Amino acid sequence: MATPTVLPALPQNWHEPTSPARSISPVVHRQLLPAGPAYLAHVQRAINKLSFEEYDQQVEEEQKRLDALQADGLNGEDDLGVGDEEESPELLLLDPKEWKKQDHYQVLGLSHLRYKATSEQIKIAHRKKVLKHHPDKKAGISNSTNDDAFFKCIQKAFEVLTHSEKRRQFDSVDPYYLALEEDTPTASDFKGKDKDHDFFLKMMGPVFEREARFSKRTPVPMLGAYDDSKETVEAFYDFWYNFDSWRSFEYLDKEVNEGSDSRDDKRYTEKKNKSERARRKKEDTVRLRSLVDMTLALDPRIKRIKQEEKEAREAKKKNKAGNTAAELKAKAEEEKRRAEEEAKRKEEEEKTARAEAKKAKAAAANAAKKARRAQRAAAEAAAEGS
Amino acid sequence: MAAKEPLPNGTAEIHSSVPSVMPPIVGINFGNSYASIAVLVKEGVAECIANEDGERQIACAIAFQGEEMYIGNPAKHQLVKNSQNTITGFRNLLGKKFSEVSQATLSVSAPVIQHPTFPDTPAYKVKVLQPAPSPLPATATNTPAASRVATPRSEPIEVERFLTVSEVATIFLGSLLKSAEDFLGHRVIGAVISVPAWFDDVQRDTLTKAAEDAGIHVLQLLDDVGAVAVCTSTSTDDVPMDRTQLVVDLGASSLELSLLSIREGLAHSLATLSDDSVGGDEIDSKLIKYFAKEFTKKTKTPLTVAPASDPQDKRAEAKLRLAVEHTKRTLSASPGAATCSVESLKDGLDYTGSINRLRFDLEVRSIYDKVCDNVKELVARAGMDLFDIDEVVYIGGSACLPGLDETLSQGFSESVITPFKAGTVVGGGVGDPTTILARGCALQAQLLFTLSPQSPDLHNVFNRGSELTSTTATNRTIGLLVPQEGAEGSMGGVWMPLVLKETPLPCRRTLSFEVDVAESDLKVGFEVWEVKEGVKVDRLPLPKFEDEEPNDDDDEFEEVKQKTLSKEAYLSSLTLSPRRVVEGKTKLQVQVKVSSSGDVDLSLSEVLEGSFGEAVTATIPAP
Repeated sequence: MATPTVLPALPQNWHEPTSPARSISPVVHRQLLPAGPAYLAHVQRAINKLSFEEYDQQVEEEQKRLDALQADGLNGEDDLGVGDEEESPELLLLDPKEWKKQDHYQVLGLSHLRYKATSEQIKIAHRKKVLKHHPDKKAGISNSTNDDAFFKCIQKAFEVLTHSEKRRQFDSVDPYYLALEEDTPTASDFKGKDKDHDFFLKMMGPVFEREARFSKRTPVPMLGAYDDSKETVEAFYDFWYNFDSWRSFEYLDKEVNEGSDSRDDKRYTEKKNKSERARRKKEDTVRLRSLVDMTLALDPRIKRIKQEEKEAREAKKKNKAGNTAAELKAKAEEEKRRAEEEAKRKEEEEKTARAEAKKAKAAAANAAKKARRAQRAAAEAAAEGS
Repeated sequence: MAAKEPLPNGTAEIHSSVPSVMPPIVGINFGNSYASIAVLVKEGVAECIANEDGERQIACAIAFQGEEMYIGNPAKHQLVKNSQNTITGFRNLLGKKFSEVSQATLSVSAPVIQHPTFPDTPAYKVKVLQPAPSPLPATATNTPAASRVATPRSEPIEVERFLTVSEVATIFLGSLLKSAEDFLGHRVIGAVISVPAWFDDVQRDTLTKAAEDAGIHVLQLLDDVGAVAVCTSTSTDDVPMDRTQLVVDLGASSLELSLLSIREGLAHSLATLSDDSVGGDEIDSKLIKYFAKEFTKKTKTPLTVAPASDPQDKRAEAKLRLAVEHTKRTLSASPGAATCSVESLKDGLDYTGSINRLRFDLEVRSIYDKVCDNVKELVARAGMDLFDIDEVVYIGGSACLPGLDETLSQGFSESVITPFKAGTVVGGGVGDPTTILARGCALQAQLLFTLSPQSPDLHNVFNRGSELTSTTATNRTIGLLVPQEGAEGSMGGVWMPLVLKETPLPCRRTLSFEVDVAESDLKVGFEVWEVKEGVKVDRLPLPKFEDEEPNDDDDEFEEVKQKTLSKEAYLSSLTLSPRRVVEGKTKLQVQVKVSSSGDVDLSLSEVLEGSFGEAVTATIPAP
């Protein structure tokens, strides 16, 4: 059906033809072949008595349902949470010759997992990236057929990350964590925040979490919470002061110039590399040591524990010496009070005794006086009667 | 058969939890001479697979020799020495009674006989060696200590085995199933098998039963042309949705022609024709005759083939028949010369000869012409002209020959689409005649598989004789006409077909086009007409060359054909005043719906930005 896409307009003098036919020519009967999706659609419309519009709608709904199903099933493959990471344009411009400088995790789209990525996840991520960036796929798209630089980067990254030794070497100097190490909080960050325990834990927790990856011994104790017991905190510092790290710095070695035959040259480079490695390792140990030192110095739990200990000690002291001193004082006071009371009572007693003695004396004197008066009266009477 | 079969590879159940894996369903093209299997590789794409011999075209042959059973192409080689134990051409006998089988056909393989026990059943008698029963197992008591030496196996006994046609089909289909399962690594859960249109219900039932016995769950028996319709309407995008398709099935044993009307994927047959006298075997006969003549010329050894009477000649013919298969394939694939080599063709003399395409086409010209005549007859039966055919599809190994296409396409219009023109024949393209049926069946199987959970009654509509297959169709083409003064042709304007004739109803068609609006006050619109299509044949005298001998009888004409249209009935007209004219043009969309009884609903609307303008409608009642 060759259809012209542009039709002319009706001529100006056009008139509608008269006497239109009443209908189209009589229809004929045919036998359809029961095959193909079109037949299915035809039959479904006929069975359910649907109009074209209703059927279109039904098909659309069905399609939506299927799409939803498809989305649920993750296309039938569990990618173990690798997901799809957007590649930045800079990433795509990486030079495979400079592979030592690239971030292998980022190249494979694993920057959200890094050292936590399992070998399975690395495999899946690699497959995903290869499917997307294989030069065979790009041959038709871009003009330059030699556009496999990023693919080479992917292969290099995969090579490094699947080799356990090489992966450790790279993990030791993972650029993402090196940047974070620079930002490790220092003592000055905590100035004036002595009281904020959560701030300390929040700042230092992640630092230890990421340092923990270098430990040869597992499990590694983490910073923990504010109200940890003294034993836990002590075990933490004990572990971290005796930290056994596998971190190494071979990755930063200068390339031994393979081209030159000079043995001396080679040995010199190797020697330099070795000493450099040792220096870095030492620096790293010192760094960690000072980090733990600083943490210890700032740890609010240590202060808390010290305080608690002091109080406990004093309480104990009071229990022992406080029995003599305080009670003695109380006793002395009591005694003093009692002595005073005694004295007061005695005085009073004496007073009353004295008063009574005085009264008795007066009474005796009175009685004597009376007796003398009576004696005198009797004598007078006798005298009178006599 | 091997005494101990290796562990089958395809026993694992499909993991239904993984939706990305294509379901293990297959399409089987079960021809009389060759079969092929196709599986789904991804959504909407089926591919023909090779069996364990690396063959995509699996010969329908089973041979018994000694204790061994050969299936497929190795069995064909048994035709040379062991023809009485080799069974071929059994598909067409499926479901037939012995009395219905014509004995006249000359058979080079095991003859069809009456089964000794079942009444009126065609069967084959083959001699096989049955392994002798193993010596009685020694009991634990009362026997002397067993010898350490293995008991020598006694000689197998030669027995006669009677196989009914269904049993043979079951064995063969079982081997196809096994090939598919080995390829997929899963148990096949459903299959669509192609059958010729002339298979009656009894034959279909017998085939279904034979397949079920072989462990195949038959989803549908699909007519060959149905498979073609599925295959050609789902895979191609540069083919118009509405077209008239000529299907040329030139198999080894017969020629089947069909004229299909395909309207947006809905297909129905306009006419069919089958001719047993034309086929790949005929081509083989011509070819071996040619080679036998060459052989005689070279070696002075008399050799008469096709038909051969002398037993030595018969052997030579069988050998040649096997060898020319390769020659034919080479000729189909490459334009150069193809060789045919047979060792010890006759009297211990080897033969190597070659033939090029030109010579080959010359030899088989009569067969090409027969096909041509049949096509013309078919088109005439449908009341059409060769010029009305939009697309030609070939099926069958013999249809791969480019000479056939060249001969046929002379009658068609210039714009006809053939797989040879499109270049999809070689290299496993979509138009590959040898695999098209199997692929169509696989695609149909996928369709049936997807709808299986929904409703069981939908399955029935795909069965033969479902009343939903009968439908009404338009008889005349309906289209738009924009009258123009001084326009060429009988229509007097620009004509655009909307609903072609032979379109199954109900149907809906939508067309979008632009209209030139030079002056803003002009109206846009069109008349709707029913037209009569025809083909005008002009006979032009051939240009005479001056140096030519003056020819007295001036009957040399060149036939120039042209499609013609003539107005039949004016139906309606739709007009509107354009509201949105951009650079002197406006966009219109016209939709026509024809109900199954013939009511026509027309609607014309202007395409505005993101929406449609008010529609102008017209209705024409049913006849």
